[in-house]
Amino acid sequence: MNSSSISKIKKPSLNTPRNFTLVLIICFILLGVCVFASLVLGSRLVGLNEVIDGLFHSNIDSYEANVVRKRISRTVFSLLCGAALGVSGALMQAVTRNPIADPSILGVNTGATLFIVCGIAFLNISTANEYIWLALAGSAITAVFVFGIGSMGRSGATPIKLVLAGAATSAALSSLVLAIMIPRSHVMDEFRFWQVGSVGSGNWSSITTFIPFLIIGILIAIISAPALNALALGDDVATGLGVRTGILRLFAAFSAVLLCGAATALAGPIGFVGLLSTHVMRLILGPDLRFVIPMSAISGAIILTISDVVGRLIGSPGELEVGVVTAFIGAPILIILAMRSKVSSL
Amino acid sequence: MKPTHVFQAEEIVAGYDNKTVIQGVSLAIPSNKISVIIGANACGKSTLIKTLSRLIKPISGKITLDGKLISKIPSKQLARILGLLPQSPIVPEGISVADLVGRGRFPHQSLLSGWTKKDYEAVAEAMRIMDITELANNNIDELSGGQRQRVWIAMALAQQTDILFLDEPTTFLDITYQIEILDLLTDLNRKHGTTIVMVLHDINLSARYADYIFALRKGKLIVEGEPSKVITSTLVKDIFGLDCLVIKDPVSGSPFTIPKGRYHVNDE
Repeated sequence: MNSSSISKIKKPSLNTPRNFTLVLIICFILLGVCVFASLVLGSRLVGLNEVIDGLFHSNIDSYEANVVRKRISRTVFSLLCGAALGVSGALMQAVTRNPIADPSILGVNTGATLFIVCGIAFLNISTANEYIWLALAGSAITAVFVFGIGSMGRSGATPIKLVLAGAATSAALSSLVLAIMIPRSHVMDEFRFWQVGSVGSGNWSSITTFIPFLIIGILIAIISAPALNALALGDDVATGLGVRTGILRLFAAFSAVLLCGAATALAGPIGFVGLLSTHVMRLILGPDLRFVIPMSAISGAIILTISDVVGRLIGSPGELEVGVVTAFIGAPILIILAMRSKVSSL
Repeated sequence: MKPTHVFQAEEIVAGYDNKTVIQGVSLAIPSNKISVIIGANACGKSTLIKTLSRLIKPISGKITLDGKLISKIPSKQLARILGLLPQSPIVPEGISVADLVGRGRFPHQSLLSGWTKKDYEAVAEAMRIMDITELANNNIDELSGGQRQRVWIAMALAQQTDILFLDEPTTFLDITYQIEILDLLTDLNRKHGTTIVMVLHDINLSARYADYIFALRKGKLIVEGEPSKVITSTLVKDIFGLDCLVIKDPVSGSPFTIPKGRYHVNDE
């Protein structure tokens, strides 16, 4: 091994994507901007002084300071939810080797919604803690179901079949949700509160409920990233590299469901964030999941928080649900991606 | 030079779902040599190499490496000895040559170690052997078929295994690239002592490049040995069911098969 052959390869191209530091700095600046916007903007515009009052002077009890305090928990909550959805999307794409996988497209969100509605209707549940477990069960069952249907037939699980299975399942589950909800007005009220609230319902208690799920989910995601990189080359290559593909898929899917289910339980069904955040990062950083996964958390947080602010501004004096905003931005992008993506089976 | 290994299969039966394809094959891979598996379409060549390289679990029989069942060796540890290039690997969109080759280092890395100097050196060396160092930062989508195949082999080389299985490494390549790939694999074997086991379609290239040939018919190993012993007109008829004339390859001196069809045969 002579040294010239090593020096020919620039180290960064092997290990860290080009411009990674720059991307990281820009992301953190954007994150800061988002947080600031989320604290200041809304149906009531708050000045800088009031923001500082709300943040640092807990003894000042002006109306604006209280608005800011309410917005703090809302902002933290939307950052965490966005991070969870971003990582969940990245994991689902890696596990299914499908560029257009996302919790909402695969119907996993709707599964969680159905279980929560059933919980409200038949079990009389109403706390965040109870929502979470139901949502997780709903997400997990739907994920298995959609993947099972999508893999039927000779060519295995192709992106198109998975998306079709997800859309069909999602439509069927949505109508079930309506069928259960419409005859029961108390369910309707409770459900509307849960769904309309979106990230606006985020308070410190739901944040503390959410954090353990977020940490476990993201930890598993980061640990499995190198093996998922191998899986991206095909199951055969991955096996040759010493990856036990079945166990890896199980773990990664578990953490994807954990993240998406918990986020859905607390914020209501929010679509497309997983898709958007991952693709932005992949476009900038390339396909290395060791970077795409953690960075999707940051881009997911940015996208969801911005969408929430946009929803507040458009819907003023009330607010537009953040899920509606993300769907508006996400749907056209999904169509573009679906047209571009090469059909590859598992 | 790579160490010597004893890699054996004992009475393996393997297949898919309920269909058995390999019906009781026993063999020992000659260490530090190039072995080629030949046979007609659907004879089980691919299934055999997949079973040997642990992509398919055998229904019965034993596959051992240095006396240990390969199913009992931890998967990452096994991946440091036994490498594999399957027939149709997947290229992630937008991946660079260096990134793809670097993924071959997976079995050598642990969660905490990250990229070590050894990893960089292994990747650089693999790219140098396959002569793709200049392409390191290129996108795989921009490469020709021959260059792509060199990148994949480099990925398998970066894994630094003593044994390398390749399932039809020359398929879809034109003749120049086929020779180039086979020459590079021969370099690897002669300079580093890597044991190579591959499936090839072309019987003449098999005869030229193999030290040892395994011939399959209908899931059974019917003959094995050096090319001069295996490639005779009688045995080729047995293996492929084709009449042919076997002459001495004027370039390499290895056996050269000339097929006889129903047309274009001169009367003597």
